[in-house]
Amino acid sequence: MALPTATPQAPSLSPTIEDRAVQAMLACVARHGLAKTTFDDVAREAGCARATLYRYFGGKRQLVRLTVTREAARIAAGIRDAAGAAPTLEDAVVAMVVRAARELRDNESLQFLFAFEPELVLPHVTFDAGNRFLVAAGSAVAPALNRFLPAERAERAAEWLARVVLTHAVSPTSPIDLTDESAARALVREFVLPGLAGAETAVPTTPTTTRG
Amino acid sequence: MSVSVAPREKVLAATYACVARFGMGKTTVEDVVKESGVSRASIYRLFPGGKDQLLRETVGWEMNRFFTRLAEAVYDAPDFASLLEGGLVFAHRAIQEHEVLRKVLETEPERLLPLITVEQHRVLEFITAFLLPYLEREEQEGRVREGVDLHAAADYVARMILSLIGSPGRWDMDDPEQVSTLVREELLGGILV
Repeated sequence: MALPTATPQAPSLSPTIEDRAVQAMLACVARHGLAKTTFDDVAREAGCARATLYRYFGGKRQLVRLTVTREAARIAAGIRDAAGAAPTLEDAVVAMVVRAARELRDNESLQFLFAFEPELVLPHVTFDAGNRFLVAAGSAVAPALNRFLPAERAERAAEWLARVVLTHAVSPTSPIDLTDESAARALVREFVLPGLAGAETAVPTTPTTTRG
Repeated sequence: MSVSVAPREKVLAATYACVARFGMGKTTVEDVVKESGVSRASIYRLFPGGKDQLLRETVGWEMNRFFTRLAEAVYDAPDFASLLEGGLVFAHRAIQEHEVLRKVLETEPERLLPLITVEQHRVLEFITAFLLPYLEREEQEGRVREGVDLHAAADYVARMILSLIGSPGRWDMDDPEQVSTLVREELLGGILV
C-alpha cells in the first residue's frame, strides 16, 4: 500500500512529523477511541504545534486515513516477514497466521474500536467493503508465498488465509486460538493447507529469505 | 392463518416492516405500536430495553428467517459439496436481492453492522448444527478424510461459509465453476477424500 504524497499546500513531508502524528493518533485511539480523539489531542500527544499538524495533514480525516494506511502496511510487512525462511509452506503459513492473529490481539487501537466503536470499523471490513479488504490483504501478503506457489495461486491462497484469520481471530466464540502456535498449526495442517491449490506439491524455490 | 401469531413475533415482524419503510434510526416504538396493533405497555413488557432491544432482536429475527430459507433451499442436496455449492449460490443471490438489507447498508450501516456482529454467533451455531448431520452422512459413505473431527470440520466450514456469504472476495458466486472450485478445493480439500 502506497504512502500518500505531500499535499500541495504543505512542505515536503518530514518523516519524523508523520511518524509522531501516526503514533500519537494510535495512542489516543487506544485510550479514548476514535470519535472522542480530536486533532488537538493528537497534536498534544505528538508534542507538535496544532498549526504544524494542520499544515501537514489538513485535518483529522486525512490523518486517520494515513494512520490506517501506515498501520496496514506495517502489519502486512510483519506478516510477510514472519514467513521468513520457513522451510515448508506449512511452516510459512502457520507463522503468517500466528503473526496476523497476534498483531490483531496486540493492537490496542483496534481492540478499543472493536470493543467500543465497532460501527466505525465494521463498514470497512464487511459486505462489499469486505471484498475490497480481503483482496487487498491477500495481495499485500501474497509475496511471502511466492517461494512456494506460482503468483496466481499465491494470491488466491493469501486471500483465503486472510479470511481464516478474520473469521477465527475476531470472533469471541472461536474454539481456536490462532495466537497459539500449536493450535494454529493443527488448524492449518488439517483444514487450511489441504485446501490451498498447489499446496501438495509446494516446495521452496529459493533457499534464501525473500523480502516481499 | 387461523393460528394466532404470538405477540413477540407480531412485534418483531412489525419492527421489520417499519425499518423497511423508515429506516432503523427513524423507526419509533410508536410506529411499531401502530404497525403491530400491540400496545405500548405490552411491547415494553416484551422488550424492556426499548427501541435498542427491539432493533437488536429484529435483526436477529430476520437473520434467523434468512438462514432458515437458506436451509430449506438446500436441505435435500445429494451430498455435502453440492449442499455447500447450492448454499453459497442461493445466499449470494438472496443477499443481492434483499432490499431492506441493501437500503440499510447504504444509508445507515453503522446502526446495522454492530447488531449483525452480535447476532452472528447464534447464526454460526445454527449453521454448524445444520451441517453436522451431512458430514456424518459423508463419513458413513466413506468420503471423509481419515482422522477428521466432524465437529471441528463443521465449525470451520460454518465460519468460512458465513464469511463468504457476506463477502465473496475474489469469488464470482454467479459462476458455477468458480463456486465448485471454491467448495471442493478451499473449503473441503482437508475434509473430503
